[in-house]
Amino acid sequence: MTVSSQVKGCFSSIKSIEATLQSLSAKTSDQEADKVFKEVRNTIRTVQNDLESQVLHLTKEEPQYKS
Amino acid sequence: MPGWVEIMIRSVVFLIVLFLITKALGKKQMSQLDIFQYITGIVIGSIVAIHVTDVTTNAMYGFIALAVWLVIPIAVEFAQLKSKRFRNIVQGKTTVLIQNGKIMEDNLKKERYSTDDLLKELRNNHIFNAREVEFAVLEPTGKVNILPKKENQPITPKVLGATVAPEKEPQTVVMDGKALLEPLANASLNTNWLETELAKMNVSIENVFLAQVDSDGQLTVDLYDDKLTVPEPTEKPLLLASMKKCQADLELFALATENQASKQLYQRNSERLQKAIDKITPYLE
Repeated sequence: MTVSSQVKGCFSSIKSIEATLQSLSAKTSDQEADKVFKEVRNTIRTVQNDLESQVLHLTKEEPQYKS
Repeated sequence: MPGWVEIMIRSVVFLIVLFLITKALGKKQMSQLDIFQYITGIVIGSIVAIHVTDVTTNAMYGFIALAVWLVIPIAVEFAQLKSKRFRNIVQGKTTVLIQNGKIMEDNLKKERYSTDDLLKELRNNHIFNAREVEFAVLEPTGKVNILPKKENQPITPKVLGATVAPEKEPQTVVMDGKALLEPLANASLNTNWLETELAKMNVSIENVFLAQVDSDGQLTVDLYDDKLTVPEPTEKPLLLASMKKCQADLELFALATENQASKQLYQRNSERLQKAIDKITPYLE
């Protein structure tokens, strides 16, 4: 596995985490829990954006592994 | 009318009347909270017993007496709601048995409580050594309530300084294989959701003995067929695990790369994730 594909794997996990948080925050009936889920989801989103740019950057660096 | 027929008729009639009276007197009467309710309970029981077993009495008088004993307690309860002084007279006051860790001998004597009685009540509260008690009080109902010294109080999350997620009451959505619509609505869910969740677990609703949903929408079921194993809710533990994995991965990337900009990016996000994990852990456990 190249670094690029590892980072990509991590990026997809982050996306899945973000989606799970969204579903949890939709399902919970407790406002405090909902607030925490939303806050954490925002943090995860910033991580997601950072990683996305990193994935693009890596694809440029290792064009031979472009998928 | 032969005596035994009359006794049977009276029994049934008084049973119904007694049932209605107890309902009218309310739940408080059932626990016999204070002196007054204690007396009421005894008297009503005796009136019924006399009139059921003794056919020579006039049953009408029995009903009149019951009516009086129904009206007076209710009137007294309303008066108690209005006046604190009246409440003190009727219900009685609490007596302090132990204060600041010291036993109040005078109060013990006043309540005719022997040392053995006191120790027995302490043991009832799982305390075997009197020095562990900060404060003990004898309620008008005869029950002794105890405040243990701080170091002997049970550990709570607050003492440990731990954060815990709030937990609301769960809703029971299936009983004996039948979906209950009202609790489902309380949890703002519907039967479609229930069917989907059960289908995910691969069980039919007829086989579900009991199913409860918590405030986070996670469903726990118990089946009639105990040989079948039902999957536990996994969404939250999985989420926490994958967050931890991503955090570890990012740390690894940060160590592996030699590009300074990338290293910083990985480190920054690993820290962000760690903070997110710390924040969300109480809610996922």
